Amino acid sequence: MEDLLIKRLSFVKRPIPIPAEYRPMYKIALIVMILKYCCRGESSSLLKLHLFSWALASEKNMEALRNYVISDFKSEFSVWGVEPALNRALQFSVADNVCDIVGGKKYKLTEKGSRFFELIRADTELFEAEKAFLLFIGKSHITDSRITAITQKWKLFYVKN
Amino acid sequence: MLKIRAIKLEINTIDGLYGAEFSFTAGLNIIRGDNSTGKSSLFQSILYGLGFEELLGGKNEKTMQSVLKDQVEYPDGKLHPVNQSFVYLEIENKEVITIKRGITSDSRKAQLVDVYSGALLTGDKKELPSRPMYIHDKGGASDDTYGFHLFLAEFLNWDLPELITTKGDISHLYLQQIAPAFIVEQKSGWSDFFSTLPYFGMRNTESRVVEFLLNMDVFENEKRKQVLSSHKQRLLDRWNSLFISFHKLAEKSGGTLRGLDEHPVIINSFDSIYIGMLKDGKEITIGEFNERQKADLALLERQQTATVGENLKESEETLRKLTEQLNMWSLNYEMLSPELNYDNEKLKQYRKQLEDVREDLRKNKGALKIKSLGSELPARTAFDTCPTCHQSIKDSLLPSDIKQTPMRIEDNILFLEAQQKMIEVYIEGQVKLIEDKDIKLVAYQKQLSEIRKAIRDTKKELIQDERLPSVLEIENRLNLRKKVEFYGTVIVDFSQLIEELKALSDELSQILSRQKDLPKDFFSAEDRKKIALLQENFIALLRKFNYQSKPFEAVKISYDNYLPVAQKMLGEQLFYNIKFDSSASDFIRCLWAYYTAIFKTSIVFKSNHPMLLIFDEPKQQDMAIGNFKSFLLELSQFKQQQILVFASFENSDDSFEEATSGLQFSLTRIEEKLIKPVA
Repeated sequence: MEDLLIKRLSFVKRPIPIPAEYRPMYKIALIVMILKYCCRGESSSLLKLHLFSWALASEKNMEALRNYVISDFKSEFSVWGVEPALNRALQFSVADNVCDIVGGKKYKLTEKGSRFFELIRADTELFEAEKAFLLFIGKSHITDSRITAITQKWKLFYVKN
Repeated sequence: MLKIRAIKLEINTIDGLYGAEFSFTAGLNIIRGDNSTGKSSLFQSILYGLGFEELLGGKNEKTMQSVLKDQVEYPDGKLHPVNQSFVYLEIENKEVITIKRGITSDSRKAQLVDVYSGALLTGDKKELPSRPMYIHDKGGASDDTYGFHLFLAEFLNWDLPELITTKGDISHLYLQQIAPAFIVEQKSGWSDFFSTLPYFGMRNTESRVVEFLLNMDVFENEKRKQVLSSHKQRLLDRWNSLFISFHKLAEKSGGTLRGLDEHPVIINSFDSIYIGMLKDGKEITIGEFNERQKADLALLERQQTATVGENLKESEETLRKLTEQLNMWSLNYEMLSPELNYDNEKLKQYRKQLEDVREDLRKNKGALKIKSLGSELPARTAFDTCPTCHQSIKDSLLPSDIKQTPMRIEDNILFLEAQQKMIEVYIEGQVKLIEDKDIKLVAYQKQLSEIRKAIRDTKKELIQDERLPSVLEIENRLNLRKKVEFYGTVIVDFSQLIEELKALSDELSQILSRQKDLPKDFFSAEDRKKIALLQENFIALLRKFNYQSKPFEAVKISYDNYLPVAQKMLGEQLFYNIKFDSSASDFIRCLWAYYTAIFKTSIVFKSNHPMLLIFDEPKQQDMAIGNFKSFLLELSQFKQQQILVFASFENSDDSFEEATSGLQFSLTRIEEKLIKPVA
């Protein structure tokens, strides 16, 4: 046992790996793509951005949203996640002048944001799956009134339970 | 030979027509222009006209400077946006042609050139027939009608040699690959031998270029070597499939293949290759195995078949033993089976993990790219600083009160890649494990059903009339006979495979000895003369240019890649790239001497060199003016060939005088600005 007597221990704090979703520029790129591909007038409500951000997080989520659209909004669609990381990314992108808040509640792509989008679009390998998904959903399927209708259902659902 | 007769730049701006026009003669041409007058633009336009802009590190108009495509500044401070611009280049071999290529043009792509048959710039006729051709487009270099480089190769009477690419396809040497041997660009051209050579998936292109320029025989030998190595590759494939056949046969016979190498080797003793069979816990060859079975069979056949009654005691004993065995094997089976399920489940999890890591990796790579795109924009967030308060945000969206430092994306990617590799190794191991267990399980099953059958047969015999002959024994005999037959055919198949293996082994030994027979020495006597002269010229030039880093006895031209090498210590056998031991300015002397030496050697042997040298700002690294003069003096000796030297002479008339006094050359002076209004 004596051999194991440890006189001194020291700890070094190492950087930890984090998922790409937590990288600010990654999230900002998603915001830019969502606004461009899926939003009329390149502007969107916060809740809608959360919906897409949630969907893009995994193949499973994308599949769920895709099915919901394909089934003409009749399939079961559970509650989506709302993450603080997106809110932070939105703050950064507003501060960086990639998007603007209009009317106090909608996020709108700026001219700089559009330029950023062009850079992203030009690289065809970049975000291939994400682009395909967003293009499929398009501008006309998930509207603000649709979002309101779904959230309305949540409320009913939770009241019942 | 290739001679540049004249060049003309034509630039339409919104404020009128701008441009420049120069003509060049045989012999040494010095193009003098102070820094930032547009000397390099002129040099680059020549490359562009020839379709060699890949030497500048790109393709098409993006390689050109902004004065030729975006805006003309004239005079200083006044900008004129460009609407359209063209380069005209008049060149001569036996005939004269003029090439017209667009840099900025709404109606024409940069890949398109017009080739006029005749001197459009220096001649009187302004109406000449022309043909449109393509540069760089896929097929651009091989389509007879429209490929400009194919046309240019014909124009130069060059029969471009074929090479084998790293993928094993046959391709020919490209003109853009030969050009770095006679055109040296200012920014990266002076950093190494052939440093601007574009990569097209071929090995040792530099050496092939020198061989081509000096028209060496070694090319043929080199090709033979490559043919041989592709033979070897095919042999490898056949060996692989034979190896698989061997394995299948061993599997079919329920044994294990021993002694055969997975990779081709010359085999001397074929006896050491066999299928090993288990007999009483010991492994023996399949031949021996069958011999023993035959002996057992012979023994059985010699005996008279016993009656059931005679065998009664034995049968009971057998039954007891069999039951014992059955218990043992069942236990084995039952233990292994859930183990296998568990392993399969684990494999599934590993695969799921791998998928997740891959997905994360893909996203991270995207994130990395986005970050560099964002810094182009520029977005402050991309530089890890908060756009509002300018504090560090550690490249993360985690709440700032979490006191953890995330990895940088680059490290994160490396981390994930390591993870991915590790999981892949796990999976590989797991798959192998499952395979092995599967095989075992099947073997157990087989064993079990054999034992069960034996038990049934023994029981059947036990309840039969004692006077009857033993059915069990008869059956045993029949089975054994069948087995002997089966293994007989396996042995025949095996010896057939061995014959094939012998053939492959012989072929391999032939290929190897033919490879050894290939002259180490691929060089013909004429080749040796050429390399010797190249070396002689090179060293003589180094001496003239006042090279000092190494004694000249320690310098030679390598027979491996035709580049200059030097001994570290005199008398040592090891030679190194001359770059390592030369000071920066001495290395520039090496480059001057090397390109000039190839040129000079080719003149003597009348080989394929285009007899043209173009140097952009060769006076690098604070080279002494005196040495630069020696270089220009050397170049001015070539009256029949053409040499273009672009230089600024430190923007000083004195330097210019000092470097060129007493030399014969044609001077082109770029005054003030290259691009001026055209009256």
